[in-house]
Amino acid sequence: MIARIARKEFTEMARDGRFRASAAVVLVLLAASIAMGWAHRREVAAQHREAGRATRRQWLEQGAKNPHSAAHYGMYAFKPKMPLSLIDPGVDAYTGVAVWLEAHKQNDFKYRPAQDATALARFGELSSAAVLQLLVPLLIILLSFPAFAGERDLGTLRQVLSLGVRPRDLALGKALGVATALALLCVPSAVLGVLAIGLASDVYSLPDDLPRLALMAVGYVLYLGTFVGASLAVSAWSGSSRAALLTLLAFWVANGLIVPRLSVDVARRLHPTPSSLEFGQAIDRDIKQGMNAHDPADRRLADLKARVMKEHGVGRLEDLKVDFAGIALQESEEYGYRVFDARYAELWGTYARQDEVQRAAALASPLLAVRSFSMAMAGTDPEQHRDFARAAEAYRRVIIKHMNDDIAEHGKGPGVEYIAGDDVWAKVPDFEYTPPGVSRVLARRWPDLAVLGGWLALSSAAAVAAASRIRVS
Amino acid sequence: MLARIMRHDWRCLAADRTARLLVAVLAAFVGYGVYNGSAWVRFQRGAVAAAMEDQERRLAELRRDAAAIDPKAEPPVSFLDPRTPGVVAGSRGQRFAAAPPGPLAAMDVGQADLYPFCFKMTNRTKQTFITTDEIENPSNLLAGRFDLGFVVVYLFPLLILGLSYDLLSAEREQGTLAMTLSQPVRLRTVVLGKVLARAALILALAVGMSVLAGLLAGLDLSGPEVPARLGLWALVVVAYGAFWFALALAVNALGRGSATNAVILVASWIALVVVAPALLNVAVTSLRPVPSRVSLILAIRDASAEASARGSNLLARYYEDHPELAPAEAAPVPADFLTKLQAVQGSVDRTIEPVMARYDDQLARQQDLVDRLRFLSPAVVTQEALNDVSGTSLARQRFFLAQVDEFHRAWQDFFIPRIMRRERFAPADFDAIPEFQFREQPLASVGPRVAEGVIGLAIPALALAALGLLALRRYRITG
Repeated sequence: MIARIARKEFTEMARDGRFRASAAVVLVLLAASIAMGWAHRREVAAQHREAGRATRRQWLEQGAKNPHSAAHYGMYAFKPKMPLSLIDPGVDAYTGVAVWLEAHKQNDFKYRPAQDATALARFGELSSAAVLQLLVPLLIILLSFPAFAGERDLGTLRQVLSLGVRPRDLALGKALGVATALALLCVPSAVLGVLAIGLASDVYSLPDDLPRLALMAVGYVLYLGTFVGASLAVSAWSGSSRAALLTLLAFWVANGLIVPRLSVDVARRLHPTPSSLEFGQAIDRDIKQGMNAHDPADRRLADLKARVMKEHGVGRLEDLKVDFAGIALQESEEYGYRVFDARYAELWGTYARQDEVQRAAALASPLLAVRSFSMAMAGTDPEQHRDFARAAEAYRRVIIKHMNDDIAEHGKGPGVEYIAGDDVWAKVPDFEYTPPGVSRVLARRWPDLAVLGGWLALSSAAAVAAASRIRVS
Repeated sequence: MLARIMRHDWRCLAADRTARLLVAVLAAFVGYGVYNGSAWVRFQRGAVAAAMEDQERRLAELRRDAAAIDPKAEPPVSFLDPRTPGVVAGSRGQRFAAAPPGPLAAMDVGQADLYPFCFKMTNRTKQTFITTDEIENPSNLLAGRFDLGFVVVYLFPLLILGLSYDLLSAEREQGTLAMTLSQPVRLRTVVLGKVLARAALILALAVGMSVLAGLLAGLDLSGPEVPARLGLWALVVVAYGAFWFALALAVNALGRGSATNAVILVASWIALVVVAPALLNVAVTSLRPVPSRVSLILAIRDASAEASARGSNLLARYYEDHPELAPAEAAPVPADFLTKLQAVQGSVDRTIEPVMARYDDQLARQQDLVDRLRFLSPAVVTQEALNDVSGTSLARQRFFLAQVDEFHRAWQDFFIPRIMRRERFAPADFDAIPEFQFREQPLASVGPRVAEGVIGLAIPALALAALGLLALRRYRITG
């Protein structure tokens, strides 16, 4: 019986010009967004790889100089563009693309792509994620708001129920019918998506990318299922199809537009972001508490001198086998690390708490849960940006340590400034970044899936309950 | 007759609970939007004030240290010496070039939260200060702000559609239309009366509420051109609202049922407010792509590496070109490092200038294309016009950046000769350090663009209304 209802529902939709037109539009948008995402990601990924090589070349060919000058010259780290970003670009446009790694300072990421965009960008990117999060739910609503209410308006509901069809079967059948119609739309797009990912990934990331894609699909199935359930529930509950449509549209607007923005503002109010000046001043203040290796009058420098001489068992600085400058520089860097670690942990903690508030708002808007989950699976969420920032900072410390160690080891010379060459720069290893694996991301983001599961369960239960208590007129 | 229909419709609306609810919801959104916008304004003002305080404190310390120093003694730390112009220009005496929030920023944050508004001036290349951003959680930037601009562009049309999707169809479905038309009145007059009644009420409410909320949020009416900007704001809101009323009228004139009307109108809303801007964005970025910033970074690096390698040569050449700046035999400050650095920076600036100009040029060309294509979506026209009126647009940011450039040049003109002459900075010189004076983007440069936008909204609105009234001829009153 359920299958028969589903078939009737599906046939009806397939014959409906409105459905065919809107489905065609959504399908074209999905396909176009995948194609564009693929091209864009390929271009950006190639640029960043090329830039990574170029910055390495610049580092190696910087010429003879003092290693501390080399540390000031530094290197850039370019954020890799993740293969799945072609489906969901996440916050990529709002995080910088490159960070400068130099002595004494942990820098912020520069060049947010959104800054180079016109006001149009603020309306949102045309990504597959946006289509799935905003447009497909709307399509579901437009498909299924008349499911019960429309039949009641037409008087066919009385007929169907008089045949002895159980209302629950009716609801299930209709849900299946809508799901089949949707599958007709989403399955080809998904296949296209998998192909695109296959082309975008390299051999090493593919085993990680496919599970990510599969999990992402699970998230979207739960999310879209919620809309099917909610549409049927409202359709069964409402007195007329007009009322059903208006209620569902109100839900759609709240879910997609109002709650996401409201929750951002609430999050910011609960956990305010400091201004960049405030943040910079706090770091400067902390750094000033530490030792300044460039300031010969610094008292802590004298303490360090005494300690190093004692460690090496000599009475005078001149008798040291190592160059004291290298040790002093490293010592002041180490102090800086503690400051940066603490301050950035604080800043990122604020961001994380803001994100938590937004995720909590997913109880009012499933879009927030699916958005957070989808970005996380695509590797384009704020957390994985911070993961890269941490890796870049760790690499900065490797560069600086190499330079300072080299000064300590070889810098001890007769009066003139120590100059090192290419062989010293080559000792710094290449920057290798491995993004966190799918299991680590899932371990962090399963609550989003749980929330989506909860939404689906709730909306299905509501649909069944509403269907079984349905009034015929 | 028209007036009588309008009065009747107002009475019906006043009695309708849904209408009152919708108006209450609009009021809540407007209030909350302005509340959020003014939070942004407070943040920006606070950040600028903190920067000014920081600047005053540093300059005071500098003066104090300069006064305390023994003119004959060499300072213990040369890179902190308040008498060295390079030190004053590049660290201790740096001044900020800051922009206050736009005149109506409390109403529309627009692009302002993406752009830096405070730069610390230096004698080094523009690249060293121009990339300082405000820090912000990227997920906040992604979601965007709930400001009044958002309410106007996204939610206001929905409210209009909610009030007028069944303008005519409901009367027909309830059977009252036939009854009304049995009176000596034309269908066109009835429809026009109903639309005008609703439009007058809703537009007046929307404009009144935004202005009131803006005033409550502390909008400075005495500020230059603020009343005129408010007037333009009202004009844009009215034109945008008129477009949606006209669309509702045209769809009602097709003669379908209420539910179908609602579906058509929502689909139009999605197409014009959500999909079209995204498609336009795709068109603009693929027709006029901005060169990658990544290659800019690499170009700057190569230029600086080359300039540093030729540092001493560049310095020698600098003095050949500027013999008047060559220091006297017994230069008082042996700051060779700083002079060399300055010569290198100058060379880097010259090398990367064309690269930077290419970016700015391409961005401007992109914006030109947007200016032309925006008319394809009333939402884009409105958003851009509101950003322009509020002073939160890309154009205003570019106007500010041009002033920052000017200030940078003034800064360099003041400091570089002193650095290259290896002069000592006298206490009196502190008063002569250039200061940044922000000039607001004049309304005269904003007005024509906004007027264009209003016309771009009014023409399709009038066309839709005319088409709708024309289609009413074939309207079937029953069935």
